[in-house]
Amino acid sequence: MTGVVQPVLLGLMGIVAGGVPLPAVEQRFSVNHPTEVPSFQRHVVPLLGRLGCNGRACHGSFQGQGGFRLSLFGYDFAADHAALVQGESPRVDPRHPEASLVLRKATRSVSHKGGQRIVPGSWQHKLLMRWIEGGAPGVRSEDAEFVSLEVQPREIVFAQVGQTVQLKVTAQWSDGSREDVTPLCRFRSNDDSTAAISESGLVTAAGKGTTAVVAFYDNGVVPVPVIVPMSDRLGSRYPAVSIPTKIDELVIAQLQKAGIVPSERCTDEEFLRRVSLDLTGTLPRPDEVVAFMADPSPDKRSRKVDELLERPSYAAWWTTRLCDWWGNSERTGALGGEQLLNGEKARQWYRWVYRRVRDNVPYDRIVEGVVLAVGRGPEQSYEDYCREMGRYFQRGGADFADRPTMPWLWARRTVGRPEDKALSFAHAFLGVSLQCAQCHKHPYDQWTKQDFDQFAAFFAGIRYGNGPRDASMQWRKEAGLAGLDEDSGTYKRKFAELAFQGKLLPFKDLVVPIRTGAKNVRGLRAPSGRVITPRLLGGEEVVASNYADPRQPLMDWMRHEDNPYFATAFVNRVWANYFGVGIIDPTDDLNLANPPSNPALLSYLSREFVRQGYDMKWLHRSLVTSDTYQRSWRPNPTNEHDERNFSRALIRRLPAEVAYDAIVLATASDAALARLHADPVGTRAIGEASGLSGGRGQVGNYAVQLFGKPPRVINCDCERSNEPSLLQTVYLRNDDEVQGLLDRADGWLAQHTAKGQSDGHGRKRPTQTKGRASDTPAPGPVITDRVELVRQAYLRTLSRYPNAQEAAIARRHLEEAPDLRSGLRELLWALINTKEFIVNR
Amino acid sequence: MYRTCDGLTRRDFIRVGILGSSGLTLADYLRRLDAGTVAPAKGKSAIFVYLGGGPTHLDTFDMKPDAPAEVRGEFRPIHTNVPGIEICEHLPRLARCADKFAIVRGVSHTLAGHELGTMYLNTGNRPIPSLVYPGYGAVISKELPGDPDLPHFVAIPNTPQTPGYLGVRYAPLQTNTTPVAGQPFSVRGISLGGGLTVAEFQKRRDLLRQLDTTFQGLEKTSRLIDGLDKFDQQAFAMISSPRARQAFDISQEAPSVAQAFGQGRFGVSCLLALRLIEAGVRFVTVTFGGWDTHANNFRVTKDTLLPQLDQGLAALLTMLSAKGLLESTTVFVTGEFGRTPKINDRAGRDHWPRAMVVLLAGGGIRGGQVVGGSDAHGAGPKGDAITPDQVAASFYHSLGIDHRKEYQTSTGRPVMIVRDGAILRDLFG
Repeated sequence: MTGVVQPVLLGLMGIVAGGVPLPAVEQRFSVNHPTEVPSFQRHVVPLLGRLGCNGRACHGSFQGQGGFRLSLFGYDFAADHAALVQGESPRVDPRHPEASLVLRKATRSVSHKGGQRIVPGSWQHKLLMRWIEGGAPGVRSEDAEFVSLEVQPREIVFAQVGQTVQLKVTAQWSDGSREDVTPLCRFRSNDDSTAAISESGLVTAAGKGTTAVVAFYDNGVVPVPVIVPMSDRLGSRYPAVSIPTKIDELVIAQLQKAGIVPSERCTDEEFLRRVSLDLTGTLPRPDEVVAFMADPSPDKRSRKVDELLERPSYAAWWTTRLCDWWGNSERTGALGGEQLLNGEKARQWYRWVYRRVRDNVPYDRIVEGVVLAVGRGPEQSYEDYCREMGRYFQRGGADFADRPTMPWLWARRTVGRPEDKALSFAHAFLGVSLQCAQCHKHPYDQWTKQDFDQFAAFFAGIRYGNGPRDASMQWRKEAGLAGLDEDSGTYKRKFAELAFQGKLLPFKDLVVPIRTGAKNVRGLRAPSGRVITPRLLGGEEVVASNYADPRQPLMDWMRHEDNPYFATAFVNRVWANYFGVGIIDPTDDLNLANPPSNPALLSYLSREFVRQGYDMKWLHRSLVTSDTYQRSWRPNPTNEHDERNFSRALIRRLPAEVAYDAIVLATASDAALARLHADPVGTRAIGEASGLSGGRGQVGNYAVQLFGKPPRVINCDCERSNEPSLLQTVYLRNDDEVQGLLDRADGWLAQHTAKGQSDGHGRKRPTQTKGRASDTPAPGPVITDRVELVRQAYLRTLSRYPNAQEAAIARRHLEEAPDLRSGLRELLWALINTKEFIVNR
Repeated sequence: MYRTCDGLTRRDFIRVGILGSSGLTLADYLRRLDAGTVAPAKGKSAIFVYLGGGPTHLDTFDMKPDAPAEVRGEFRPIHTNVPGIEICEHLPRLARCADKFAIVRGVSHTLAGHELGTMYLNTGNRPIPSLVYPGYGAVISKELPGDPDLPHFVAIPNTPQTPGYLGVRYAPLQTNTTPVAGQPFSVRGISLGGGLTVAEFQKRRDLLRQLDTTFQGLEKTSRLIDGLDKFDQQAFAMISSPRARQAFDISQEAPSVAQAFGQGRFGVSCLLALRLIEAGVRFVTVTFGGWDTHANNFRVTKDTLLPQLDQGLAALLTMLSAKGLLESTTVFVTGEFGRTPKINDRAGRDHWPRAMVVLLAGGGIRGGQVVGGSDAHGAGPKGDAITPDQVAASFYHSLGIDHRKEYQTSTGRPVMIVRDGAILRDLFG
């Protein structure tokens, strides 16, 4: 059955040494009376893992189980060894090996809550017995270290469901030795419904699709892609598909292997609506749709992309996305005296990023301004610093975006401790989740607790807090703050009020342990008192005293072209914005066991993004001008179940802020629409309001929360939810806010159904709304022709013309309505309540 | 696959469905719909009364008449209808129905700040920075799916309970305002606004149905489109059916019932909670703030807080019992902490988490008993402390929910519903 498998060999095999690997323990310990003494690290601990002993619900639990505790997922060899051989009742007894508790429990010759894990006389039994007979040795410092893991085959392409392939896993050690460790690995399938994998590593094609199976041994994690073709359109039977870009080439290469034929190209109207919503978070203007449809030139799509990239809404929407990942939220601002400025700080943060996205400052440079941010500059006195901050808070004062660095990321109260900073940093800039490794070996990745502690050491000493108090005593007195409790409401209100007046105030400062000369590193201290040396994730230890700012080596490391996370995390997140799913998904879980669905594609994009100087507009343009982005949402029989290989456009519910803005835009008069387009930062949900926690009076606050706006308080991309819910539907159907938007004074209904004079061309000018300023522009020309009104209603909601049937239904509805206003209201209501409106397709 | 006890992967979590505020996953819902089993669900429900600010334990349900004056305060205890149990003289109605609820004394923790204490007592888990635990209402609406045309988790008027790592679909429906005695009441979106009649609303829907055809047929392969269709049906059912609307409209309550709850905001909120539970809502929270009595503790509690609590809670327990709902409904009353034994120089009491009091009633909990206790000055537990986690585990137990059940966070981390809980068996004895 394995003849159909095409193992694909990629890359080098690592160190070519040791020749033929040692055969598997399964064979070596099946014989009677084996002579070899197994190694604790290479054999005993992996076997215990394979048997499930160090699982979380068993002896890996932090409380242990039955008085016996192993390190979770087994990586603390010293502690595990001690747990077995030491204590009042050791689990092993080298003088009477067969009487050892570990064997009697595992074979269940005495009662064991975990049941029988080992059959007496099996190789597992003999292996453990032999280790005990040999004196139950632990890990010695001179022992060779684990280097890498290699799995054959490197990729599995099945021909049909039901076929099987056996994985073979070889470990490489630092002394050059190699060993078949297949019987000692743990295996996992990332999708059982496509590929099932047995405990011994036998892979079975369970259903059509693409996924990966993963082998774990020591801290090696190796995924093996598995493809079970979706159709018989393979090899020469695969249809000709054009591949105009490198992205398309890499996507189609994968689709060909999987027998998936991509959907056809989407229509012009679909493209315009899709790209406007994805790239600028904004519905296209009705007149824009008309012009785009009428444009006969073949390059109109790419010209439209260039045009969209210059709009303020592009910068606004992508600032919102960056602020999502970086955690810009009024909610997480520091508590205490400056607390009531947290909303203003969130706005400053937004505007600082917005300016740079607008000016297309390279991504790495924007990140640098955040990562290396400082409060007081190196040459700045505290007083000067406070004067500077005062100008930013003063109404009509200086623009915070002029500031070279943006310190509020480090000022959040959620990142007070170095460990919190490390977790947040890894999530924001690396797309890596380190939570697990904070307490134990990461179950699905290489990270150990020591890796985490060494990474966290970079952030020791970075502190956001009060400045020198003596310096500010006099200002406090002058401002009337002296003697007030900083945590009192009076102090906070007064502080904010004075700040907005531009008064000199004792602002908090972001202090970074800047080193001069070669002073010793003040790293994190372990509970043992040992100072922990900072080490880059998967990289080198860093002599931090070589750097003035301990964050500098981190920034240098991220910028290095070989960095596996920095550029990759960003391009992957941007990709997910356009395709509804990341190449690695979830997008904040870059780990070895969660491989990209198309590794070549992700690697190309990351490399090229770096080569293009982290040019974000290049990235956006490359993605949306590909054929892959411009596929139709209409599935064909080969791709209707594919959601991971980018063979069709996935229909996605609009993101919260975009959805709310879409309702506002669709119901606005021409004049109001122009204002909303001109100033997205100040007027829209995708603007600076996106960082605010939504106090009373904020427009659309209820709606954006209902539609899953991320609160930005924890390290998870899952905070943004694009899932639909019952209350969202209730809101669209029946909320007073939606009714109010339909009927508002500067709404589209009012524009066309207000009483007024006809201009003689079937158009009317509305009278000015009472009480409005006389310089308010008129809402726009009045249309009375019903056919045209129906067309306009479609253009402003679904960004397309109605088809003949829709036009007829809508016109009949207007004719049968008691009056035009109510007929039009119902029509517009129905259109914003269609599924088509609330999704991007 | 390997046979350890390590549970699901992160992907399993992501596959979980999308049925909005309903406790059902979409897959569950569709399966039940197909099987014709989406019927009014009978079963357990709960009312969580949150006394925001931290109610004084020494002046309510854990009085120390023998302590020195600077501790025992101004109020005297009175007998209740259960021999041996005494509570504050300003809670006479509750004293007459003390057989209906259990008093848990000596509940102890160490979080003396409002925010953290509130998170602790509203989730049953001591807060940690890396994870937001779901509030009780989110867990219960997940575990006890209810009827499709009713919301499952209602907060009057709002709640500190969030869905946390469970995701927005378990978020509460917040009324945002409190009802006023005798006046009609409704909630955002669920009753027809703008003078619209059901017939007009139906007409709009007919137009929508005719026009919403672009994705016809796609519901077979797209979970999103299918979900949106189902929500459409459910939303129309909820908006045009009188059921939810009537449940919220306290003005429709029989005067004999309504009068027992009085005119106070808290009492009327309790009436609303009763109506919602009676209609089939699974979880209702009533938030009643103002208990942060750093100054004038005795005047404020005597004049406003205690009379309102007394009338509202007594009426709630009595009416639940009279309607035969107390067996299937657990009532849980708590703040975020108690208050300092020593009265401060502003006649107030400050934050004190080491010996607070909670009340539990219904759902199989034996009323008319005191569980746990505090020392002579109410400064700490007497004997073993009872933790908020234990109270939470017991609360879930009364609803038939195993507090040790594990959920997956979005990062694949397994977390028990209550991480350090154990059931207080005495409550059920």
